[in-house]
Amino acid sequence: MPGIIEARHLHFAYTRTPVLEDVSFTVDAGDYIGLIGPNGGGKTTLLKVLLGLEKGQGEVKLFGTPLGEFTDWHKIGYLAQKSPVAQSRFPIAAEEVVLMGLPGFSARIKREELKEVYAAMQQTRTRQFAGKIFNDLSIGQQQRVLLARALVSKPQLLILDEPSTALDAGSREMFFDLLGKLNTQNGTTILLITHDTGEVGKYISKFMYVDKNLVFFGTKEEFCHSQKVAEKLGPFAQHTIDHLHNTHGHCPLGASCRECKHD
Amino acid sequence: MIEFLSYSFVQRGLVAGSLVAAACALLGVFLVLKRLSLIGDGMSHICLMGVAVALLTSTNPVYMSIPIVAVSSLGIMKIAQKFKIYGDAAIGIVSAAGLSVGLLLTALAGGFNTDLLGFLFGSILTVTRGETVFCAVLLLAVVGGVVSFYRLLVATCFDESFAHTRGVRVRAVNTGLVLMTSVAVVLSFKVVGIFLISALIIIPPVSALLVSRTFKQVLWLAAGFSVVSVWAGMYASFVFNIPSGAAIILVNLGCLVGCYLYNKGGHRG
Repeated sequence: MPGIIEARHLHFAYTRTPVLEDVSFTVDAGDYIGLIGPNGGGKTTLLKVLLGLEKGQGEVKLFGTPLGEFTDWHKIGYLAQKSPVAQSRFPIAAEEVVLMGLPGFSARIKREELKEVYAAMQQTRTRQFAGKIFNDLSIGQQQRVLLARALVSKPQLLILDEPSTALDAGSREMFFDLLGKLNTQNGTTILLITHDTGEVGKYISKFMYVDKNLVFFGTKEEFCHSQKVAEKLGPFAQHTIDHLHNTHGHCPLGASCRECKHD
Repeated sequence: MIEFLSYSFVQRGLVAGSLVAAACALLGVFLVLKRLSLIGDGMSHICLMGVAVALLTSTNPVYMSIPIVAVSSLGIMKIAQKFKIYGDAAIGIVSAAGLSVGLLLTALAGGFNTDLLGFLFGSILTVTRGETVFCAVLLLAVVGGVVSFYRLLVATCFDESFAHTRGVRVRAVNTGLVLMTSVAVVLSFKVVGIFLISALIIIPPVSALLVSRTFKQVLWLAAGFSVVSVWAGMYASFVFNIPSGAAIILVNLGCLVGCYLYNKGGHRG
């Protein structure tokens, strides 16, 4: 069975500076992957290359189909790092923004489409903003509306680029709980860039560490327990492991963790 | 007023002016929101090259300019994409090239003559029947395009990257928008003149954006302001014996100030 994402020998460079070098991996259905790495390490670029937003060298397959021939975009939900419009006068309601996430752009809006829009807004607790102008909302509220846009087509794969940076503590918890449920209950595959390894570590099943090359790709347990990884990644790995152990006062790995002192 | 409307050339000017002004305003809404509004300014400079070629070859300046401006506008997009520079820099490069070639050809054609001055400052009363039909076809194409692809156009304006991940061919949408704008710009130079074309593309949408709460309102108001400015500007030109192109743009600026004051009064939510 083909992977949800198959990347083979990806290379990408902005002018002469290489950003990605020979990156290959396969994301399987149901994976919840935390994409981590230093600033400028190529995480966002990798997501853009996977989605065809940047043209790199190498091969990308989505749901078994080469990227150039891929048409089932409704299977993918994408949330970018930055809110799309700095244009303060873009007169569009939050519900219209969410509507953009549905497949097809027929001139007439159907009743079922609106139902799906409101259901997605309910999920991200933005239903009360439906009629408000998008740019009148706070950055955090906008981010939740954009998450609803990513979810409205009920995607099988969610690609999220540091989605929680603008959110307050309560919204962040809601956000990661929702992603966790989508992953465990609906089987949604998630690829998420994050620096928030502690909070999101509870849900993540695999880590992918990118710093131009694919430095590490494996399960959370392998990441935390591998001496090799700790040596290779230095302080960052230690920081991430510490985060995973300390956040919320409990170890996300439970009894299987060899680092914790279990009685 | 009745005397003003009794002249057939005035009637034709009003009809052609209204059609092209509405088309420019509708296209302008998308260009302004995509931060491409200055493309109209760049294209107007390239128009000068088209007019100069037409004067040299004794052909119709409108029909000669359309392919030249269309190809140049595609060049603007290609340069921006190829060299990964911002659109305004690409517009600057191509418009400077168009203007310098235009001036060179104008000198070869014997310098500035009355025909050329008419194109620079507008000569709405010389619009021909064929050009009026062309304006009607343009407006129909623009309205048809906006109605048919409304959601797709709004999504592309709002967030090109996300639109791409919905399967929208963003480059094709942008190319269509720019090509239609090329035709609108060329048809506008008789209405307001090469110097003021970009105002028809920028000012009505900006006025409408100041007072609208929905995207559809912006489209209706921008087209409305633009048509009203053509009628009021032409009437003012007739009564006060002033250049019609300048009068049309000044009415547009009046609308902009009015919208700003309305907005400042807290009327837009």
